[in-house]
Amino acid sequence: MMYKKYRLHPISAVIGFLKGLKDLFPPLLILLIANGFNFRADAKHFWEYIPVIIFIVVIIFYLISGIIEWRTFVYWFEDNELRVEYGLIVKKKRYIPFDRIQSFNYKETILHRLFGLVEVNVETAGTTSGKPEAVFTAITKEAAEIIENETKRAKTGQKPGDEPLDEAVQSNPEEEVSQPSHVIYKMAPKDLILLATTSNSIGVVIAGVAAFFSQFADIIPSDWIVEEVAAIVQFGMMFVAFLLFIAFFIAWILSVMITFVNYYDFTVVQENDRIIITRGLLERKRIIIPLNRVQGIKIIENPLRQLTRYATVVVESASWGFGKNDTNIAMFPLISKKEMYEPLRRLFPQFSLQFENGLIRPPKKSRPHFYRVYIIGLIPIIAICSYFFYPVGLLSILLPFLVFVLGLWQYKTNGYLISGNQLTLRYRIISRLTFIAEKKRIQVIQKKQNYFQKRKNIATVQATVMSGIGGATGKVAHLNESDVDTILSWFERSKENKGKAE
Amino acid sequence: MRKELEHQIPRKGLTVWRLYGLIYTLILSIIAGILCFLTYQLDWLDIFYYIAIGAVLIVGFAFIWLFPKIRWDHWRYEVREQEIEIQSGLFVVKRTLIPMVRVQHVDTTQGPILKKYDLANIAISTAATTHVIPMLITEDADQLRARISELARVAEDDV
Repeated sequence: MMYKKYRLHPISAVIGFLKGLKDLFPPLLILLIANGFNFRADAKHFWEYIPVIIFIVVIIFYLISGIIEWRTFVYWFEDNELRVEYGLIVKKKRYIPFDRIQSFNYKETILHRLFGLVEVNVETAGTTSGKPEAVFTAITKEAAEIIENETKRAKTGQKPGDEPLDEAVQSNPEEEVSQPSHVIYKMAPKDLILLATTSNSIGVVIAGVAAFFSQFADIIPSDWIVEEVAAIVQFGMMFVAFLLFIAFFIAWILSVMITFVNYYDFTVVQENDRIIITRGLLERKRIIIPLNRVQGIKIIENPLRQLTRYATVVVESASWGFGKNDTNIAMFPLISKKEMYEPLRRLFPQFSLQFENGLIRPPKKSRPHFYRVYIIGLIPIIAICSYFFYPVGLLSILLPFLVFVLGLWQYKTNGYLISGNQLTLRYRIISRLTFIAEKKRIQVIQKKQNYFQKRKNIATVQATVMSGIGGATGKVAHLNESDVDTILSWFERSKENKGKAE
Repeated sequence: MRKELEHQIPRKGLTVWRLYGLIYTLILSIIAGILCFLTYQLDWLDIFYYIAIGAVLIVGFAFIWLFPKIRWDHWRYEVREQEIEIQSGLFVVKRTLIPMVRVQHVDTTQGPILKKYDLANIAISTAATTHVIPMLITEDADQLRARISELARVAEDDV
């Protein structure tokens, strides 16, 4: 029996070519700059053309390899497996059993959207390298539907051909998704603006804008600068304030724009036992997290958001869509704390979210441990700063106060709670983190104790769950040693066997 | 208070750590020697002699005598039916608890120096982390590896 073999959409040749060019971009730029941009047609020697020739050859090579990959790529369904073959000289075959497939993640770049195509990444339980098991560079949405339905049918144990898949194939994906599922969370444009305003990355953008402004200093003729300085002195602080305001405003606009591009129409949908996250303005992405792959959740509140009673919720999952960069993508990028609990409860009924008041705090004797060492460590820095940058450097004397306040704040925040099979760790670096994980998902628990902690009978505890390629760790510092031992004993399985080893 | 763990690293392990320290110190001595030579040839300040000699003495003292001793004192491990517990550390004493069900695989490794002393390192990997028990007698290490992999297979996920 012959199985129907499918091909990618021809556009995938172009996309493959463009992907190749993207890798080529840095060396190309270096060569262009090295050449001083003077590619003249009237060069005297043949060797002056060599860089150009190399580039033309390389570009043609990428073009051909893009076409070859498209021409040779076939996939089909056989024997409960998704089978993929590609390559001309080195033939690569990859057979993925349907029941090993965890999820299909979609990505649509602008080019995809023009032709109604998607990039499909197949993820399996064994995907630990951070790379998808198979990538379909560009196929039509209908073809993607066929793959998904084929997989679904195989998983539910029907033989191929038992059930016609017409209705699912003909309907478009959006309709299909909305049938048995419900939207858990959706970001309105207003939320996006708030997200951009309170995000940590706004600082990065401000720095970028500042750097951009400072570039002007080189362009502007220096005598003009002198006049400008005189003018600034004349106008006084008002003008400086105005400039600052403009800079901040531009930074804010940029931040909002970046957020819009990345998070536009951010939607979280629950469908059976999986979470589907879609997002993006120009480049749409759809990531699927099977609920049984969720290892734990992290609730992050940076000081600004804590003040406004908003939070970010991140899901630590054993599988993560499009590799490393996406591990940072939160499930709820910004959600008011009042509205947060209801969807969390629905998604993760196993978690108890009643921890606000029950947390066990570090003892009073551990308070100095949050700042003492750091303040002592700062003394030489202050001495050096004050000595070398005499008048301005004296400002560094303020640093210990900041460290002290932050330390106190950390001391006030830290705590842990054991409720049944769940461990909740709350701690602060600058943002407040609440780390929630079930016992069966925790890989390792560690107790750490330095000499000074030992003297006071306090210790630091740290729990690690699997997350993407590596692990995610929650860490509470300077708890009572007996409390940390309680956590360790809770994590132990063989309490009755304790001490009877070997 | 949790009780002290049962097993220690064999005495030979301490010797090997001292040997490693000796190698570091020798490398540093060569660098210090070059520095002294240059100082002599190029007439630099005398302070370089003191820095070079001081560094070699301090590093030698710390890496050959002090650190291996502290580390050896801190190292303890215990392999129970349901979990592995390891205590390690130099300045910060770490106590690590790994349930058997989380163990994915166990490796033993042995470099030339360890081979000469008939010692081996054991690395225990979970889905997220790797933990090493160093300097075990090769035979013990092999037995332990076999035992951990057997226990890890038997242990069932109870929660």
